[in-house]
Amino acid sequence: MVGPVSLDPLINTGGNGDNFANELIYQPLVRPDPFGSDALVPGIADRWTISPNGLEYSFHIRDNARWANGEPVTADDVKFSLDRFGNPKLNQFLPSMAIGYKATQVIDSHNVVVHLTQPVSAMLYNIGFWVGFIYPKKPVEQQGKAFFNKPIGSGPFMVENWTPGSSITFVRNPYYWETGKPYLDEVKYLYATDDNSRMLALRSGQVQAVDGVPFEQVDTFRSNPKVYLQFTKTPYFEDVSLNHRKPYFTDLNVRQALQYAIDKESINKEIFAGTGTIPNSCLPQLKYDGTNQQVQPYAYDLAKAKQLMSKSSYPSGFETTLQYPAGFAYYSKLALVLQSEWDQIGVNVRLIEEDQGTMTNKFWAEDYEMIFPFAQYTSDEAVPDEYGYLMFDPHGTDGFETHWHDPAIWTMFQQFAKGSEATRQQLWPQIQKAMLIASPTINIMDLPFIQAYANNVRNPWVNVLGASRLEHTWLA
Amino acid sequence: MAWYFLRRLLAAVPVLIGLSIVAFLLIHFVPGDPVAQMLGGKTTPAHVEMVRHQLGLDAPLWRQYLRFIWGVVHLNLGYSITLNLPVMHVLRNRGTATFWLLLYGVGVAVVISVPLAAWSAIKPDGWVDQGVRFLTTTAFAMPSFWLALVLALIFGLQLHWLPVTGYTPTFPGLFVSLTLPAITLGMSLVAVVIRTLRSTMIEVLSSEYIAAARARGLTERRILLRYGLRNSLGAMVTVIAADIGYLIGGTAVVETVFQIPGLGSLLVQSALQRDYTLVTALAFIAGVAVVVISLVTDFIYALLDPRVKLG
Repeated sequence: MVGPVSLDPLINTGGNGDNFANELIYQPLVRPDPFGSDALVPGIADRWTISPNGLEYSFHIRDNARWANGEPVTADDVKFSLDRFGNPKLNQFLPSMAIGYKATQVIDSHNVVVHLTQPVSAMLYNIGFWVGFIYPKKPVEQQGKAFFNKPIGSGPFMVENWTPGSSITFVRNPYYWETGKPYLDEVKYLYATDDNSRMLALRSGQVQAVDGVPFEQVDTFRSNPKVYLQFTKTPYFEDVSLNHRKPYFTDLNVRQALQYAIDKESINKEIFAGTGTIPNSCLPQLKYDGTNQQVQPYAYDLAKAKQLMSKSSYPSGFETTLQYPAGFAYYSKLALVLQSEWDQIGVNVRLIEEDQGTMTNKFWAEDYEMIFPFAQYTSDEAVPDEYGYLMFDPHGTDGFETHWHDPAIWTMFQQFAKGSEATRQQLWPQIQKAMLIASPTINIMDLPFIQAYANNVRNPWVNVLGASRLEHTWLA
Repeated sequence: MAWYFLRRLLAAVPVLIGLSIVAFLLIHFVPGDPVAQMLGGKTTPAHVEMVRHQLGLDAPLWRQYLRFIWGVVHLNLGYSITLNLPVMHVLRNRGTATFWLLLYGVGVAVVISVPLAAWSAIKPDGWVDQGVRFLTTTAFAMPSFWLALVLALIFGLQLHWLPVTGYTPTFPGLFVSLTLPAITLGMSLVAVVIRTLRSTMIEVLSSEYIAAARARGLTERRILLRYGLRNSLGAMVTVIAADIGYLIGGTAVVETVFQIPGLGSLLVQSALQRDYTLVTALAFIAGVAVVVISLVTDFIYALLDPRVKLG
């Protein structure tokens, strides 16, 4: 992946390349479980309470939370950071996460109250990753942008040396609050965008860990006795968006026929080295998802697909296009497989390989028929709220640029977005099921993040967002 | 002589203006939008519009071009939105790696080419010549991303001599981390340099003053090195100078494969992210480098060989 251009968490040009570096340096108030579940655990805040109306979140900052220079983390720092989070001019990459954010009130040096304009059930998740990282107010104000060249955080590591575009060396933060951790004295991140050279670096022993193991190389690593693989469940999926401005995609029979015509089992085996999961949702794997018993995935059923097509307004099929990102071997294969499978039900697909820049633009302009809009994309949080707003909000991104709208699902989702935990647990599988039946987009496969490690690397836990803080990791 | 220099300099001006227009327009004609790319696609169009306005990207194209030219004249190449830094700063930071890579790559090409070319020229179409021709043609046919991986497999994975990725900005680590990239880059030049040097040497070795040297009883070794090689080096310099643009293009691949934080990999990355300012500046700088190097070569030639300016 591409390395960061700034270690300001709100400048996220490199995506996970930035996130994974910032994850070592900073912490949010609450954070995803470092062992990979979709629960939240205490971060800088060791306890918190939520007012009954859901509009006030009171956080207590743990007494031993310190910056890497030894100064204590204060309520002023938290307010300063969250106000940046709430400012769409600074929080340009994911301003939607600050939905409902009003202000942060400092109670005393260790207590703050976050005020909301509306109940936001996902609030803790929305601040529980890089957009919600906390940084020290005074040095940021004094040094401005320069602070982020060698920032100070309260995470397990701090920056020792940074060669932009190439590598970052981190050393242990001696003031980290978890006693005795991290175990590693030094960590070096090498940013290697080329899949082959990244994998060679591990195989040659130059590095001990790599992420983004390409699906084509999974079997090679499985049979290599010097390394082991780790598959992290994350909200990562391969999803085809359908443009509902095209008349054929407004026909439910057509959309369901497209679903039934895909042999996902064999795609998983042939293209994803068996690492994927057959999806029972149009969205990636998220918290509150119903089980396969509650929400059944589409089976591969060509007869049924043909029958649905004959029932549709397009019994003799139609011609369409599928755009997919250039530069990834597996997208080309996947596109070819889909083309031949849909061909069997009379849907004649022309494939268009395009670079990401062109595709993003066409996606936004809704200038496509079928598209994999972003290479390897994920939900930024483990709960369905981010994607829910993107897909269902009629005033938002036009059904995430599909032009699909379903008022009934939107109503349910609004209940979900402000509901109690019990309401959310009960409502989400219903939304998930209604959406899967409607199939406004086609989720081809849920996929893990794949890391590979040298055998002497122990406990390289990765959280549900694919990031690791390496605080439990050690070398045997 | 001064008139010749002046004429060459003046002739470079329209080239540079043309270059600036092409560099500027090319990336703007590519579909895509830097802000949409940068923000990653999960924001609203209204938000993108706001950021675009903040960055001055909503101005008409001609005004943006004039702003670019105005900047060039003042040695200010604008501000990179994806790197969040002034372009001049980026060039200083990342130019070093590319400079060393090019220098090292040319060095590798020369060290490999000169002895092989001389050896081939001694007996044209002999078995040495045929062998060298076979090897260089093979090397020339190898795409550099492939050669890079083969070298990494051999020297990194099998022998553990050299790192397969990464860059150390200080000596002597710089030398170590740039060795495989420089060999990859240099190999793309080797075939061309050997072919040119060989044919020039054959020509030189068959000229009358060589025959005269032989008649004076000088050793073959002395004739080859002192007279043959020396008189052929000019052609080699020309070939390398002419191929510098090709080499700069090659850094894009080599730097990406070996993860060298130089200008080549930056150009690829900034083009993919549609960082207009940065792409325009990098393409322009690469073009200027080629123009300047060919001017300097012309001047050196004119100084060495007065016949040149007549042409």
